[in-house]
Amino acid sequence: MSITEEISEKLQKGRAKEVAALVEQAMQEGTAASVILNEGLIAGMNAVGEKFKKNEVFVPEVLVAARAMNAGLKILKPAMQNEGIKPLGKAVICTVKGDMHDIGKNLVKMMIEGQGIECVDLGVDVDPQRIVEAVKESGAKVVCLSALLTTTMMEQKNVIEALKAAGIRDQVKVMVGGAPVTQQFADEIGADCYTLDAASAAEAAKAYFTE
Amino acid sequence: MTNRERAMNILHFRQADRLPAVHFGYWKELLFEWAQQGKIPAEIAEKQGDGNEYDRKLDGILGFDFNWCRTYGADMGLRPPFETKVLEELPDGSRRVRNSFGIVEKIHPGVVSIPAEDDYLLKDRKAFEQLYREKMQYTEERINKAFFEKFNESVYEKTDIPIGINLGSLMGDIRNMVSVVGMSYLIYDEDEELFADIVNTYAEMQYRCVDRILSMGVKFDFGHYWEDICFNNGPLLSPELFRELCFRHYERRNGLCHKHGIDIISLDCDGVTDKLLPTWVESGVNVMFPIEIGTWGDQFEPARKKFGQKVLGVGGMDKTALRKDKKAVDAEIERIRRLVSLGGFIPCPDHRLMPGTKFELVQYYAEQIKNIRI
Repeated sequence: MSITEEISEKLQKGRAKEVAALVEQAMQEGTAASVILNEGLIAGMNAVGEKFKKNEVFVPEVLVAARAMNAGLKILKPAMQNEGIKPLGKAVICTVKGDMHDIGKNLVKMMIEGQGIECVDLGVDVDPQRIVEAVKESGAKVVCLSALLTTTMMEQKNVIEALKAAGIRDQVKVMVGGAPVTQQFADEIGADCYTLDAASAAEAAKAYFTE
Repeated sequence: MTNRERAMNILHFRQADRLPAVHFGYWKELLFEWAQQGKIPAEIAEKQGDGNEYDRKLDGILGFDFNWCRTYGADMGLRPPFETKVLEELPDGSRRVRNSFGIVEKIHPGVVSIPAEDDYLLKDRKAFEQLYREKMQYTEERINKAFFEKFNESVYEKTDIPIGINLGSLMGDIRNMVSVVGMSYLIYDEDEELFADIVNTYAEMQYRCVDRILSMGVKFDFGHYWEDICFNNGPLLSPELFRELCFRHYERRNGLCHKHGIDIISLDCDGVTDKLLPTWVESGVNVMFPIEIGTWGDQFEPARKKFGQKVLGVGGMDKTALRKDKKAVDAEIERIRRLVSLGGFIPCPDHRLMPGTKFELVQYYAEQIKNIRI
């Protein structure tokens, strides 16, 4: 088994300390940061995402895998900068105004970061205007909006309206998700994308940066 | 026929004169909305709680027969609970508050939602031993003996609605103590034995509480758990691990109920529950509740197909229809008729009625349900 395969495997098991140690070892052995990133860390998160979609693993496994990925990234970051590795792009992510739930939002964020996309996380209970400002400041190409409640899902529409009013709707792809959200609802409010789970959201986000 | 007889007959596949109109309470904001519209007195909006006298008054106004969640039991949480304490006032007006479970929550002013979990106390063995273990022990003070000694005459015999004993919670309460993130870390890489120890300690205390009350000869129609351990894509932890940690505790507690003649055992779990159902059903839980079809897509029919008459249901009515119009309510009632015809199923809005729910549509729904003959 190669060291990148080992990194991927340990990441899938959520072994943060071992992932960090293996990344360190791989760097010392002269493995390129891009190889460690793509064949080790991102490959591991992709595998977790696939298993999550198929109900082979559950929320805890995703959370510990993401933590292991972050532990590896922390070690790898200086080498990534030296090699000039840049994220695929930026995505603004948040839970909409009036809604404090963050588990779904955090899962999507972890999966998206696992695809090499930088996330500007605005947190929970976020006002549409703040999202507009964050898009302008960061130049993000994707906006991910989470809502858990039937009472707050309409806020996703308000964000889309705010992006239109600010004249930047065409610059971003708006992805919506959350328990009460459906494809029909996403179509009704004019969102660009709805996915059923976090792993599918990450795949869809990646597609926007690579299309 | 009384409501108790109706409900119990249906859940035992016996004849009943009609369906009872059952509900699962309301979001407080809806009651204030209705009070503001002049539909209900402000006092009811302020004081309504599951099964209390104001809930019963509201039943009368809306035409409901009863709230399924009228349960009684011991103090089965952390005792004493942590003192709720404001830890920090933040510049944006929000506050960091430590709650009674030891979770630090960020509360935003004016936001009606579950608060965001920010931190938690129960991170390791030391915190468990020093802060939590003692709070999870059984003591006689957990039981209101004076109340339960007179319960049969003063509560059970005085009402015609089904009364449940609160059987507690194995995983939901613990998730509330450590948060979903903390639960994941405890299970998977910090201390697996610790997590099992927490579950076992908590379960033992709750078992003794239930045992104590039932041993007093207190009458109940059903037992009732609360878990809320699933979301829109299934359980918050692996079904195998859930079974490993919880099955024997459910089985033991359900056995206790059976010994005391209680054979209807419901379990409140939001979200899509199908992956955990085998553990519950095999252990003796037999009523799915509230079967969130509208928000999460949880379903009763596949469970009935899989487990036959071992699975009963209370819930499964898409409450979002009550925000729309009569046509939507009629369509929902037609869909429900099919489930009712399977037997062992009592329709009930699939969670608390939310803001924007139309008062007149609720009255209409309750009336239509009561017209359905079994």
